[in-house]
Amino acid sequence: MSNVLAIDTATTRTTVALIRDGELLMALHHDDPIAHGEVLPRLVAQLLEIENVIDEVVIGMGPGPFTGLRVGIVFGQSFAFARNIPWRGVCSLDSMAAQIESNDFIVATDARRKEFFWAHYLNGERINEPQVALTQVVERLTSPIYKEGDLYPSAQFMSRLKGDIREPIYVRRPDAYPTPKGVTFRAMNAMDLIVVSSLEKVVYAGEDPWSMAQFKEELASADRYYLVAEKAGVVVGYCGVMIAGDVADILTITVDPALRRQGIGREFLKRLIDWARNKKVEAMMLEVRVGNDAAQPLYTSNGFYPLTTRKDYYGPGLTALVMRKELR
Amino acid sequence: MSQPLVLGIETSCDETAVGIVRGRTLLANVISSSVEEHARFGGVVPEIASRAHLEAIHSVLTRALADAKISLNDIDAFGVTAGPGLIGALLVGVSSASGLSLALNKPLYGVNHLSAHLAVDALNSEHNLEPAIGLLVSGGHSSILKVSHFASDVTVIGSTLDDAAGEAFDKIARILKLDFPGGPAIDRVAKEGDGLSIEFPRGLTNDADHLYDFSFSGLKTAVSRYLQKTPDAKVADVAASFQEAVVDVLLGKALAAAKAEGIETLIIAGGVAANSRLREVAAQRCSRAGVELRIPPMALCTDNGAMVAALTSLAVSSGAPASSLGLAAESSSGLDRVFWP
Ligand SMILES: [Zn+2]
Repeated sequence: MSNVLAIDTATTRTTVALIRDGELLMALHHDDPIAHGEVLPRLVAQLLEIENVIDEVVIGMGPGPFTGLRVGIVFGQSFAFARNIPWRGVCSLDSMAAQIESNDFIVATDARRKEFFWAHYLNGERINEPQVALTQVVERLTSPIYKEGDLYPSAQFMSRLKGDIREPIYVRRPDAYPTPKGVTFRAMNAMDLIVVSSLEKVVYAGEDPWSMAQFKEELASADRYYLVAEKAGVVVGYCGVMIAGDVADILTITVDPALRRQGIGREFLKRLIDWARNKKVEAMMLEVRVGNDAAQPLYTSNGFYPLTTRKDYYGPGLTALVMRKELR
Repeated sequence: MSQPLVLGIETSCDETAVGIVRGRTLLANVISSSVEEHARFGGVVPEIASRAHLEAIHSVLTRALADAKISLNDIDAFGVTAGPGLIGALLVGVSSASGLSLALNKPLYGVNHLSAHLAVDALNSEHNLEPAIGLLVSGGHSSILKVSHFASDVTVIGSTLDDAAGEAFDKIARILKLDFPGGPAIDRVAKEGDGLSIEFPRGLTNDADHLYDFSFSGLKTAVSRYLQKTPDAKVADVAASFQEAVVDVLLGKALAAAKAEGIETLIIAGGVAANSRLREVAAQRCSRAGVELRIPPMALCTDNGAMVAALTSLAVSSGAPASSLGLAAESSSGLDRVFWP
């Protein structure tokens, strides 16, 4: 005889179940997005009154909002630690999918900030790693979506899932990133024009780069804000934003190709957003070339969502995706 | 139960810590810190701290049990910091402790972090604990507490209106281009400087409404303004003078509280208790005022699990009731409670 305690706190629902040899003895849940920590011990205590001997703990490892998700994981692990019994982690989306009788569907849970945690299931298998994406992006996919609310992780189904995930499924990185080492940021001035325009020529060759005169004019215009990044005294990137009515429009974020992926672009974006916030504008907008796969996740993770597209914006055949971020 | 065996868990900020005590004897004190992770950001990042707690907690537990040479089954009661602190971080400790206590059917005490900082003074000595004035100074807190009885009556009589003392050290260190955390960096540099060379303001010293409260923002502004006006200032002199101002205010207020309350013991705890100038001046002024000065060993001054175990042990010994199942962690709890109901 084997008794399994199953726990999941990856969604607004705290769910627990006691399963003996594959048969459900008792399942309990409570819906509250912020009370997992208080609810979980009480629910488990009720199960233990039915059966105090537990042989294995099965834990939903997410994805899910961090704070609630960790409650179930650490509680389950500590329980197993104290009883000296094994624990096993499973994907929370999989236990939702296990309840669906269909060959092609998507499961999506609330990731807040207008985003879903989601995965696609085909013929009984999950075909992608769990991901986070804007709700409207997921809703554009053609397969039917089963959303949190219609469906929740089921502690009962969890015990039937195979596999053993040892780490929480974190699909979203922490909001904080290190500031790039050895790089300083300051306002652009006239002394920078030569270096900036030559960097522009290199990076945007064939895409109508701005001339030095254009940069000079930009610097002299009102409602603009230009920054440069400097490493060892050399300008290695620049960015700029302008206010147009109630919107701050990001004009450029450019980083020396040799120094990309070090957080310089991210820091630029953060500073531009801070500046725009202080200007009390309604929103920020930017254009990014469709196919510029490196830049888009940066914008998405900072709250920009796709608004529309502009054909031939960067020259014939080069479409721009217009993205917007609400500041109020 | 005269000598309860107690395990305490602390995860309110960036240290994942477990301590084990028997009565008032320390058996184990294991700390895993994510401070190096946070140094890259110049401050504690809540989500990174919470992730680190989850990664570290079971290995810290295992090491503490090995150090104490006991099995988890021997534990009589569990204690955990339930507030104040970062909510996501607190929840990791509280959920872990709930899992342990439920699995073993042993009582769990949710305890106040500030009280615990002072209760650590109970360990490895049989002196009378109460009454005492506590000066709690660290990156997270600057408070003056009155301890009438650890298990039932601890009150905050003063706190900071803006930055914590340790936070002020961090910010000034950043202005002076010194390392994070700023406390040790300023302490080191200040040794080369003259603390009396620059007269920085002592916040709230003559304010009857804030007799025991602190404010460090004016001092911070004064330091940065001084540096702007005096670009060739000697960093060591600025650091020493800033430190002198902080130490002067902290001790002036703590000793004024002791005098007003007629209490003859001062406990200094929290990370800033490591500051060498604070210790030096505290020793001088306490002996002049006829006040007994107690500073726990450094490993017990910064956030640790032993302090939680120590406070829990005092609660168990005095017969205080355990917390109910599913106690709620609280980020901003002041000191309206020493133990969670
Ligand atoms: Zn503390």
